[in-house]
Amino acid sequence: MAKHYAMVIQLKKCLGCQACTVACKFENKVPDGQYRTKSPAIGPSGTYPNVKVFFEKQACQMCQDAPCVKVCPTTASHYNKDGLVLIDSHKCVGCKYCMTACPYDARFINKNTGTADKCTFCYDTRLTKGEKPACVTTCVGGALLFGDANDPQSEVARYMATHRTEVRKAQFGTRPSVHYDYEGVK
Amino acid sequence: MDITWGAGAANPVIWGWLIAVYLFLAGIAGGAFLTASLTDLFKKNGQARVIRSGAFLAPVAIIVGLGLLVFDLGRPLSFWKLIFNVNFGSVMSIGVFIISIFTVLSLLYAYLVWTSVKVGSKVQVRVGRAANETAATKAAGTVGGRGIVAFLGALFALGTATYTGFLLSAVSTNVFWSTHLPGIAGVPFLPFLFLVSALSTGLAATLLGAGTCDDLTVYKKIDIVLIVIEILLVAVLYASVRAVFFSGNLAALFWLGVVMIGLILPLLLSLYGVSRHKNLVLPSCSLVVIGGLALRCFVVYAGQLFK
Repeated sequence: MAKHYAMVIQLKKCLGCQACTVACKFENKVPDGQYRTKSPAIGPSGTYPNVKVFFEKQACQMCQDAPCVKVCPTTASHYNKDGLVLIDSHKCVGCKYCMTACPYDARFINKNTGTADKCTFCYDTRLTKGEKPACVTTCVGGALLFGDANDPQSEVARYMATHRTEVRKAQFGTRPSVHYDYEGVK
Repeated sequence: MDITWGAGAANPVIWGWLIAVYLFLAGIAGGAFLTASLTDLFKKNGQARVIRSGAFLAPVAIIVGLGLLVFDLGRPLSFWKLIFNVNFGSVMSIGVFIISIFTVLSLLYAYLVWTSVKVGSKVQVRVGRAANETAATKAAGTVGGRGIVAFLGALFALGTATYTGFLLSAVSTNVFWSTHLPGIAGVPFLPFLFLVSALSTGLAATLLGAGTCDDLTVYKKIDIVLIVIEILLVAVLYASVRAVFFSGNLAALFWLGVVMIGLILPLLLSLYGVSRHKNLVLPSCSLVVIGGLALRCFVVYAGQLFK
């Protein structure tokens, strides 16, 4: 069975330390001022004594019906054999059509290459060696789960079977592979 | 830059004024070519000045527009990859071919019109001033397949003008750009709006380029019809999307630029002009052209600033 890499983010375990943000910059040599992943504070919302603030890790959602792949004029944005949305930078001309289409603002034009750039789940540098993405292994609070959602024994599959998770902006029908568990923070 | 606390949120405007001006110029090119070629094809005594103005304006506008587009790329020098890597599911990929063919045809047509102008000056010596322009057009219209180029070019001019709308409306995750015709899901709205605006601005720009002329009443009447259709379309757009898109900084651009300068004033001036000043085009046509630019800017920015 084909692999379907997925990530589960347990927001109540995230303390906003930004270790994932930094680990990603180390791993992928992302230019200054640009980010493949970031974890901004959401809130504070509510009124005392019910004030809440949480951190939401945001990156490419690895959609299975990705708007960026659909609009890309050169097929630079594509699904690889493991179903991940990746960018072939040799084909990319930097037209930014994918950036207008991505509802998650996950993409940017890399300052150094002039091509579209985004999270790859560390496909080339880690996944192909059997390792998990840099953000997942570095996560201090253990908020990030990663694995093959098609394998019922995997951590992500077991978690999603027993917890209520959501995808962001479900109204666009993009079928993301990054799932959020907002229990305890919303 | 504070990515944690939200102060450094990314600029939501991904396609800025370069793209807005490119969409505007593509519309001008399409509209100008249609004005010239349809005059050439269907008016027996087609006004040579109008044909010449539109035929020369179209390639200039589309080439300048493409220049802006290439300049806006992350890697401008790699633009040629758009031709060799094709994605038939991508509107932009299809548009690359429509616009490329249109550019070639518009250059060819401009060349054919230009050579007939030279023929015209020879005719002038022999036949005399009065008949020169019409004679030249007729002579060239029948030789050299100029009619075929005019016809094919007109099809691709329609395609180019409509494509600029489809480019934006195909972004299904953009609520404003992907607005549908009211009541008809599946039929996007922007291609219609941009086509009518392209015809209107292209015709206006062509008349500006034609300068002093014989009776332009026909063109002015067509322009009035186009402006009225565009007013209806803008009203439909206003009624069918959320009010937020017409708010903030964009309110002035919409009400002043698109509605007043681009539609209401030129309509009033044209109605007045048709009855009083048959050959006065400058005031009304300039306003139409400025309004067309305002419309592209408004649509490009509104779709990105408000989501």
